[in-house]
Amino acid sequence: MHWLQHLPRHCLFLLACLAAWTLAISQDEPVANFFGKHNGTSGHTNNWAVLVCASRYWFNYRHMANALGMYRTVKRLGIPDSNIILMLADDVACNARNKFPGSVYAKSGRHLDLYGENIEVDYRGYEVTVENFIRLLTGRVDPSVPRSKRLLTDDRSNIFVYMTGHGGNEFLKFQDNEEISAFDIADAFEQMWQKKRYNEIFFMIDTCQANTMYSQFYSPNILATGSSEIGENSYSHENDNDVGVSVIDSYTHFVLEYMEGINKTSQVSMQDLFSSYDPVKIRSHPGVRSDLFQRPLEGALVTDFFGGVSQAEIFPVIEEDADTTLQYITRVSFPDQVVHSDPVSPQAYHDQGVDMTKSNAPALTPEKDNMMLDVRWKDIRKWTSITIVGFLVGWVSFVR
Amino acid sequence: MESPLFLPVLATCRLLLAWVHFPVPDGLLIDHQLTSPLTSYFRLKEGLWLYHHGVDPYVGGILKHSPLFLSLFSTVPLGRVAWALSDIVGAWALVRIWRSRQQLGQSRRDGLVGTAYLLNPYLLLPSLASSTSTFENAAVLLTLMFAAEGRPSLALLALALSTHLSLTTLLLVVPVLMLLATSPTSQLASPRLFGESYWKVLRYASEFVVYWFVLVCAASIMAGGVWNWMRESWGASLILPDLTPNPGFWWYFFTEMFDHFRPFFLMVFSTHLVIYVMPVCIKFQHDALYAAFLLLGILGAFKPYLTLADPGLFLSMFAVFPEIYPYLRHAIVTALLHAHASLLLPLFHALWVIEGRGNANFYYAASLVMGIAGGAGIVDACFAGMRIAVGSVPEAERGKWEVIQE
Repeated sequence: MHWLQHLPRHCLFLLACLAAWTLAISQDEPVANFFGKHNGTSGHTNNWAVLVCASRYWFNYRHMANALGMYRTVKRLGIPDSNIILMLADDVACNARNKFPGSVYAKSGRHLDLYGENIEVDYRGYEVTVENFIRLLTGRVDPSVPRSKRLLTDDRSNIFVYMTGHGGNEFLKFQDNEEISAFDIADAFEQMWQKKRYNEIFFMIDTCQANTMYSQFYSPNILATGSSEIGENSYSHENDNDVGVSVIDSYTHFVLEYMEGINKTSQVSMQDLFSSYDPVKIRSHPGVRSDLFQRPLEGALVTDFFGGVSQAEIFPVIEEDADTTLQYITRVSFPDQVVHSDPVSPQAYHDQGVDMTKSNAPALTPEKDNMMLDVRWKDIRKWTSITIVGFLVGWVSFVR
Repeated sequence: MESPLFLPVLATCRLLLAWVHFPVPDGLLIDHQLTSPLTSYFRLKEGLWLYHHGVDPYVGGILKHSPLFLSLFSTVPLGRVAWALSDIVGAWALVRIWRSRQQLGQSRRDGLVGTAYLLNPYLLLPSLASSTSTFENAAVLLTLMFAAEGRPSLALLALALSTHLSLTTLLLVVPVLMLLATSPTSQLASPRLFGESYWKVLRYASEFVVYWFVLVCAASIMAGGVWNWMRESWGASLILPDLTPNPGFWWYFFTEMFDHFRPFFLMVFSTHLVIYVMPVCIKFQHDALYAAFLLLGILGAFKPYLTLADPGLFLSMFAVFPEIYPYLRHAIVTALLHAHASLLLPLFHALWVIEGRGNANFYYAASLVMGIAGGAGIVDACFAGMRIAVGSVPEAERGKWEVIQE
């Protein structure tokens, strides 16, 4: 009967174990999710943003505010100014008609000043041209163009390209002066692909008939979204009565509102973003083009494009030993000896999925011998030449 | 200066100068008057470092020295003592040349000749700047010494070495061969035809080629290749890849040369050096040592990468030919031109490169003055060497005629 006395205690103990076990399991889920989402990882190491407002003049205040709103969002989510190319006509903040000089607002009520003191406009005024935009993308810039105006991306860069302004069927108007066509942008992206200037591009455009602008893309790894279908207009969202003009566009407003709920650690996917589109509220039908995009949209994080977030990967620890140290020394001091495999590099691991075994270890020992042989060979050469000269001098002096 | 101890004391002083670690200002080591890309101490150090780290030192256009320097300074430590010893060897060779020319064992003028070499600022300063032109000069003087003393094999070996170290010394091959066939004593006053057997000269020439070839082999083994060091060290004199300013004529010309004309003008400038050999040797076939002296003067004015050490050798060798002194017509003009040039060169160099107030034209003008000084010396020596043959105008004829030009 003594076990009956201990029964409550045992039960409690069992219950505690069960609770712990289920909790452990349920912890696995988000953990697995966290790393699971990285299975289809994009493999990018840096983020860039190209934000283009293609309009000028006071009445296009909202386009300026669109671009500045996106600028603030990407900065907040971690992309530094050095990696953001902001192209604005920049004639709104200090416009004579601006009742709030030096400020640009995106919502009526004027609670958040997007212009502020800490923005960096790279291409302003008349520098926002089709030619400059395409040169920026393709990298064919004049040698005198400073670094801040160059898109210094590499093949591991994710680029967020945002364009806003007045547009139409497969064209976008630049500064009331010229237009860029969907074919131009598609070709520019193809050039970037050929020159390995991006890993993935997320293209967002807010104009009338915006979805036509991404219809001509043909390069891989591009995800595109636009604010309205062909034949549809994109509308502004609201006016501010004191500023006197529309301060934000509808589509961009809802995207920015969505973004306000995102921070750097967010695991929200692009599919979630696209699912949040409400054509009724936006008053147009936003579209998505994902056929060129290799990853599933559920696996692509919003911060892959909007934020400057690095991915962490775990791989087994390799213990440092004499062989790898020697390999490093050989690489440093004898640069002419090429050491082909580098098992320590995470890039190599990521790219090839190589087992972290010592399969490369046998290759290291011949390197050591080679180094010794080279030193010997050098000494042999030196002493041979000295001996030859010495013999010559001696022979000539004493024999002849 | 007449005491027999004078030269040893001077040599000791020169050694002490190297031993005592007085700080040679860095400006001296990189001075463009004293060093050139072919003789620069820093390039030699860099080449040694590259060699010791297993990198081919001739890739990259840094090292333009001969590989024999690399092998020498890999074994012997690179220090100022080596330069002091080389200076002493050069001075000793000059004294021996003087003695064999005068056929004297020891003379009162030995000290003066040694001083003319050791204390010549044109030679002392590059030596303090650790420019390898000291070794080149020493090799040339050893060649002339052995040739004057009638030791053909050593002379030809030294000639092969000096040609190996500096390609332009090839100009001296003909006079040295002639000197070996004749004697070093002064025949200036009594010119005669070169009556020696040409076969002897040809034998010497083939011996020279053999020694030269062995040295090339030793150098190639050291450098680990044949064309890399040849292209860099000898090719530099022919192709002029490096246009660092120096007191010579070439660099300025080629900075503004269109690529299209470059090969032609390189050929012209190189031919300009070569065309002096035969006329000088034919005109002075009776005194080959004097012909060598004149050709050293030509080199000292028209070499590709000129430094002050090259006219310095020419000026020091004046001490070996006192017989021409009465016949030098404008010795003081030459001296003043040299003084003028040697003051202007560093001044305009500093004005151009350091201060930025002048430009390359200032410096080139000063180097043109140096060229005129060199030319004046050559012309004067040439005239005096020939004038001595005519002799002094007899008393009776003094007012009637006068030797102007031969």
